[in-house]
Amino acid sequence: VQVEIRPASRLRGKNAVDLTAALAPVFGALSTESDDGPVTDLSRLRVVADWVQYRNNFRTPVELRPVVGGGAPELALDLRGLSGAEPDAVSTAVAAALHAHRGGGASARHLTLEEWAPIRSSLIWAFNSLYWQHLQLWEEATGQGYESALPGGQSDARHLEPVRETIGRLFAIWDSLAERRALPEELYVVELGVGNGNQASTWLDTFVEMDRAHGREYYRRLHYLMCDYSPHVLELARATVGDHAEHVSSFVLDAMRPLTSLAFLKFKVFFVYISNVYDNLPTDEIATIGQREHLVEARAHLPEPEAAAIAADLGIERPALAALVQKLLRLGPALLAEAMPQHFPDVPAAVQFWRACWQALKLQERYVPLHGLDTYEIAPGINGELLRPLLSTGGDVRMHVSNGAATSFAETLPLLHPYGTLQCHDIVVTDPHQFRSGFRGPGKYDGSVVNWVNGPLLAHIGARKGFDVSFAPFRRNGSNIITMTADVRD
Amino acid sequence: MRAMTAPGATPEALPAAAPGPARPGPPAPPPQPTRMLLPTTVIGSWSVPDWLERAKTGVHHGSVSRSQLADMHDMAVKAALKDQEVAGIDIVSDGELRRDNDVDYLLARVPGVEVRDAVKAFYFDYLHLHLPRPIPEPGPGPLGLVPDLEFTLAHTDRPVRFSMTGPFSLSRRLRCGGSAAYSERADLVRALARVLNAEARALAGAGAQLLQIDEPLLAGHPEDVGLAVEAVNIVTADVPVTWALHVCYGNRYARPLWEGHYDFLFPAVLDAAVDQLLLEFARKGDEDLQLIERHRWDRVLGVGVLDVKTADVEAIDVIEKRIERALQVVPADRILVTPDCGLRHVPADAARAKLRAMTSAAAAVRDRIQKENP
Repeated sequence: VQVEIRPASRLRGKNAVDLTAALAPVFGALSTESDDGPVTDLSRLRVVADWVQYRNNFRTPVELRPVVGGGAPELALDLRGLSGAEPDAVSTAVAAALHAHRGGGASARHLTLEEWAPIRSSLIWAFNSLYWQHLQLWEEATGQGYESALPGGQSDARHLEPVRETIGRLFAIWDSLAERRALPEELYVVELGVGNGNQASTWLDTFVEMDRAHGREYYRRLHYLMCDYSPHVLELARATVGDHAEHVSSFVLDAMRPLTSLAFLKFKVFFVYISNVYDNLPTDEIATIGQREHLVEARAHLPEPEAAAIAADLGIERPALAALVQKLLRLGPALLAEAMPQHFPDVPAAVQFWRACWQALKLQERYVPLHGLDTYEIAPGINGELLRPLLSTGGDVRMHVSNGAATSFAETLPLLHPYGTLQCHDIVVTDPHQFRSGFRGPGKYDGSVVNWVNGPLLAHIGARKGFDVSFAPFRRNGSNIITMTADVRD
Repeated sequence: MRAMTAPGATPEALPAAAPGPARPGPPAPPPQPTRMLLPTTVIGSWSVPDWLERAKTGVHHGSVSRSQLADMHDMAVKAALKDQEVAGIDIVSDGELRRDNDVDYLLARVPGVEVRDAVKAFYFDYLHLHLPRPIPEPGPGPLGLVPDLEFTLAHTDRPVRFSMTGPFSLSRRLRCGGSAAYSERADLVRALARVLNAEARALAGAGAQLLQIDEPLLAGHPEDVGLAVEAVNIVTADVPVTWALHVCYGNRYARPLWEGHYDFLFPAVLDAAVDQLLLEFARKGDEDLQLIERHRWDRVLGVGVLDVKTADVEAIDVIEKRIERALQVVPADRILVTPDCGLRHVPADAARAKLRAMTSAAAAVRDRIQKENP
């Protein structure tokens, strides 16, 4: 048996995982002969243990992931989930997973919601979109704003010192261009993912203050473009920056397609700011197993007994539940309540159904061999060959492709003026090795999906497009947030 | 003093076709110059296929040998020439496909220049080049570009445009060892210009008819245009070919490095000893054409009519209008129809389609002119 323990940092120290206790029932179950023959060929089994950092996530503590084409299967364990579990329950889960695998797939007790597909195509992303489109309803149901779900309970973008540094740098560039008669009349700044507008407000207030001291009247020429996927979020943000209304425009925008609305700003934007957006965009995962690249495919399901409980609450048969979930994702909660008053007497009832499904939602996974990295598309015009240096760092590795972030990043860079800068605050993996030593998502943040962003991949994409991408820890103590900066190179 | 222009009754925009193959076998008789208005040409670089990018990078990581890459370069150059010929381009180039980028291929060969780390993560990155001492007086053909030219001449019967990055832009990528090398950057620029002049003499001796100086970094340093022009004149001095100067707003990674106007070029560029000035007008718009008129540029103007920073293929009638607007300030026998810059970053399909659109547009305008002036 090949055993891989990824969360090495959790094996020591005060709160160390008791690995022996966690794994004993697993190997006990593996060593047990089943009544109907050996459960699997142990010499070909890979046991991989993670520590899933998100309290709400898409994994069960024990899963068996097949490899399409007959490769060695992977028994995936969540040490966090196993730590508090009864040993007998763990043994039973392991035996059930192996049994299901031998039977050809998922437990018959799961309510499967979709066919196998790369993770970026999973309906978890439809749930994610639903959250941002109907955020107001979600917030009304939970009684708290989405910012409270962020690490530290607030957006990481409101700290003053980095803002002052950014504006100071812009002033220096603009002064220099002005001296050479090359400063455009319009000075554009773009923010993707505006949150509640506090970042924009802080930025603009600081800009006004510094511009007064600087004395060049750049504020007069400034255009601040706030962009967000959620009309509700944008509306809140617009109210927050009311004092700067004449200098602010807002766009409802898919972060993965900024050029659809902003193409007129190609090569014109001096500063693009992106906060907590990339971690929330669809991503695939790719794994090197035994020197061969595999794409991770997933399918969403509602496990028992949650599926039965949700169906019972609605008074429907369990098989009808899958269709109802699809309807929710298609219509959204308000229209769903309107369309099916017999099940949802009002909108809050539909939101309750939405939240219950989301809470229960899990992903089953499998590995599909890739026949050449260049056959895999990371983002439009960017094929999988760009991953090769990251996957070839020695040994097996499984990493996020961050397709959505890569698409957004690649499409945002052309907006930048020759002296422009892109700055991003997010949870970012800065070294491929980090994928080997810790779980990087997906997790559930409130009603949305979160994944760490593959920073080295974005750095490669940036380099190919003429940008140096650097990473630095954000300045708040205890934060996982990284400041990623892309500057024009050469 | 201006450099020597191509002889005969050829419109000024079109040099005499190159003499026949330089290798192998004896030289063929020179083809007759084409009497053609509005000849079409490329700026220099050609679309780099993905497989070639991987091979070029592979050399740095040991997965491809240098001799394998040299073979690939030969094949890629032949294909690039064929692509241009099929598209109907009148004056072709080797596509600069042997060059990793616009600087390294030349600058690393300059006598005295040291490469600090020859291994690159990605082939297109710039090398770290260092000059510890002043550049020695160059001998003949110091950059060794003659075989590249000869190979190109041997594989096309069309006139060839052969480009070299100019001394000003080369100087911007060179770290000097303090005052031990050059205390004044201007002296470095002049020294590089002397190297390029020696190379140009060798290229002329090998059959070059049309040499081009590219200054892709000049636009980012408009205050230095006087120095750049002085250096251009050192390069072109006493080299009997048609000389072209290309100044763009930058095209590295398909991005501009400067968003201004060409007003910084004038009037200084009027003193450049060149026969052709090739500028970009497609992406930026052609309001700078009035500079040509206002400053009475009296030589050939290369009019950029294809935006090389997008793979979108221009409509033929759009290109026709761009040419016609240029005709309002420069007569037809002094216009070259060109892309804005090199096509390195444009996918091959789009590059071919763009060139076909350009040659079709030039032909349509040419026909109209000839009908109106039978």
